[in-house]
Amino acid sequence: MIAARSKPVFVITFAAAYAILYVVSVQYNLALFTYHAATEEFHFLVQPAADGPAMYWYGWLATSALGASAIAALTSWLPSASTKRLWSGLAWSTPLVVMIVFVYILRRYFMQ
Amino acid sequence: MIVALLILHGLLAVALLGAVTHQALSVWLPARKTASSFVARMRGVTATSYVNAIVVLYALTALLGGIIYPTYRLNVRIVLEQMQLHVPNGAFELKEHFVALGLGMLPAYWYFWRAPEAIEHARARAVLTAILAFIVWWGFLVGHVLNNIRGFDL
Repeated sequence: MIAARSKPVFVITFAAAYAILYVVSVQYNLALFTYHAATEEFHFLVQPAADGPAMYWYGWLATSALGASAIAALTSWLPSASTKRLWSGLAWSTPLVVMIVFVYILRRYFMQ
Repeated sequence: MIVALLILHGLLAVALLGAVTHQALSVWLPARKTASSFVARMRGVTATSYVNAIVVLYALTALLGGIIYPTYRLNVRIVLEQMQLHVPNGAFELKEHFVALGLGMLPAYWYFWRAPEAIEHARARAVLTAILAFIVWWGFLVGHVLNNIRGFDL
């Protein structure tokens, strides 16, 4: 249960941590699980493509959501004095920066 | 079955597109007097009334997209690569990442809209709404274009 005063800390930290963990998960392929679409099989952690492509997107979501939940929960338990100056703009500026990072990462698709 | 899910995914996306566009317009370009024109009425809605609908529709649309994604990966993306259609392929890659980032923003979006009178969070509310609107529009247009290119080839 999250105390009322901790809710803004939790949601701000979650949004920021999730965005950072997501781009790191994608860049370093830290998927919590892999889905092989052709055989309809899930495998724990990253597995290479077998019969057909390996899908990591679901695993990246899981890694980011779990990691961000843990970070946000820990942050919301900190004394309020240490989090009262947490800027609410982190909840939108971090994902926005990560969106721009993805445009940069994927630029090769648009420059061929 | 996949075709039915794709159509449902599209219908939910249309509803989400309408809701988030209404809200974004009402936040960024609020109507200042009694709405008389179509555009003014679009801008003159009560933004807070869309919050729960947007959260639910976004989550449901993303969930359905996740369910039909393997079919896209097997039947569409491979063909796009073979046809060297790099721009649509890249646009979809951006879509999947943008949608994922939008999911992570939903708790903050919901929280900041719970108390719309809180002035200190006005900017966060407005920007989160604008980013979600951009993601929804990007996802809708890319999905529409890709469906026009290939559909599901069933």
